[in-house]
Amino acid sequence: MLHKRLQQFVLVYAAGVLSLILMKYLLHLSDYVIPGPLEIWRTALSVFVRYLRNVADTLWIAVVGHLISILLAFAIGIAGRRASWIGSLIHAAAYNIQAYPMVAVAPIIFILLGDGIIARLLIAVMICYFPLLLSVISILSEPVDSVEHFYEATGRMNWRLQMRIRAYENIHKLTTVIVGSATMAMVGTIVAEFVAADAGIGYSIRIALYQSDLSKILAALFLIGISTSLYLTALEWLGNVIQRKCQA
Amino acid sequence: MMQIECQNISFQYPHTDIRVFQQLNCRIDDAGFHALFGPSGLGKTTLARMMAHEIGGYSGQILSDSSKKILYTHNMERLPGWASIGDIILSSIPVSDAERMQMLTDAFGMRPCMNARFRRLSLGQKNRANLIRYLLQDFDMLIMDESLANVDETTRGRIIITLKTLFAEKTFLYISHNMLEVARFCKDIIVLRSPDRLPQVQTLQGQDIMDAESFSMPAVEQTMLEIVHAS
Repeated sequence: MLHKRLQQFVLVYAAGVLSLILMKYLLHLSDYVIPGPLEIWRTALSVFVRYLRNVADTLWIAVVGHLISILLAFAIGIAGRRASWIGSLIHAAAYNIQAYPMVAVAPIIFILLGDGIIARLLIAVMICYFPLLLSVISILSEPVDSVEHFYEATGRMNWRLQMRIRAYENIHKLTTVIVGSATMAMVGTIVAEFVAADAGIGYSIRIALYQSDLSKILAALFLIGISTSLYLTALEWLGNVIQRKCQA
Repeated sequence: MMQIECQNISFQYPHTDIRVFQQLNCRIDDAGFHALFGPSGLGKTTLARMMAHEIGGYSGQILSDSSKKILYTHNMERLPGWASIGDIILSSIPVSDAERMQMLTDAFGMRPCMNARFRRLSLGQKNRANLIRYLLQDFDMLIMDESLANVDETTRGRIIITLKTLFAEKTFLYISHNMLEVARFCKDIIVLRSPDRLPQVQTLQGQDIMDAESFSMPAVEQTMLEIVHAS
C-alpha cells in the first residue's frame, strides 16, 4: 500500500520537476526563475534536515487537527442525523459554511489568537471539519432498513443502537471519508502556516517564496508529498484493520 | 373474536397514478395460520405493512384490538453482523426466553449455525434466524412476508407445523407464492386480485393441516383450483 502510494507520488513529482526543467531550457529562463537540476539537488540536500523537522511539525498539527475534526464531526453528526429541526439546522449550517473558503477567515484567527499552534490547529480543523461533517451526517442519517426494521418494529431501537448499526453497515464509506479528509487537514495546516504562522513547512515555503527560491519550494513539496503519503497510508491500514475486524 | 379487519381500503402510491387498492375489504376472524396470496406486484406487502401500521395515507380503516401487537417481517431483513446470530438474538429477548430460543433453534434446524455471523449463513438460514427472533418477541399477530423463502420444502413444512403447534393462540398471516403450501397449511386464504377486479379480495378456506405427512391430496387440489379461479 505504502510502496504503491509513494511510487505514484514520486512519479507525479518527478514529472512536475522534469516539466519545469524542460520549460526552463525551452523558454531560456534564467536560474533565478527556475534553477538548474544541480542547484535544485544541492539546495534540497542543504535544507533537508531543517525541512524534515518543519514537515514533522506540520504533520503533527495536521494529525491532531484531523483527530479533533473526526471527533467533532461524529459528535455533531450523531446529533444532526435526526430529521428534527436541530438536524436540519446543523445540516444547513454545515452545508453553507463548508461552501465558504475558510482560508479567507484565517487572518481573523491569526489576529485574535496570534501566530502560534492554536491558530494553526484551528484553521486545520476548520478546513477539514465541515466537509467531513457533511459526509458523516449524510452517512449516519441514511437508514439501514433491512437491519433497523426489527428494532423499530419491536420498539427496541435507541440512538446508540441506531448509530452502531449505521456505522457498522457503512464502515467502508466512513473509513474512506476519514482517509479523504486527512488531505484536507494537511492542506489546512499548510495554508495556515503559509498565511501567518511562524513554524511548519508552510512557513518555510512562505520564506522561500519571499526569497524567490524555487529549489527550496520543490524540496518542501517533496517532503510534504512523502509525509502526506505516509499519513494516508497509515490511515488506510488502520481502516483496513477495522474493516477486517468487522468482517471477521 | 375478530383479529383484524380491513374496511373499504383505497390506496395509491404518493405522487403516482398507480391505484393499488380499491374499496378493499377483508378480515381474519380467528387465531391460526392464514395466508395472503396473489400475483407479484398487486400490493400484498403494502397491505401487510398497512396492517402492521407501517404505512398510512390510505382511506378506509383497518380495525384491530388496540392492545394487539402486530409485527411484520420480510425475507430481506438482516441481523447485525457484529456478533454471532445466537448472541444477537439473545440480546433482543429476556433472559428467561433463552430456553424457548433453544427449542425454536432445534425445531428450525438452526442449532449448528448459532455461533456463526449472519453473513456466513445461506439465504434459507438467514430467513430462519430472522424468523426465530421475531417469534421470541411479544406479538399477537405476525405477518410473514416470504419469511421462509429459500428454505427447502420439507423444512418449511416442519417449521409451519411447529408454528401452528407452539403458537396455536397467535395469528399468522403468511405471504407466499407457493400455492401448494398455502392450500395445505393455511386456514383462511386471502386472495388478492387486481384493483380492476372487484371485489379485490376473495377469502377461501385452506386445508389447515397439522401433520405434513397425512393429508388428503384431492382436497388440497380442490383448494388450489379455487385459488386459481379466485386469483
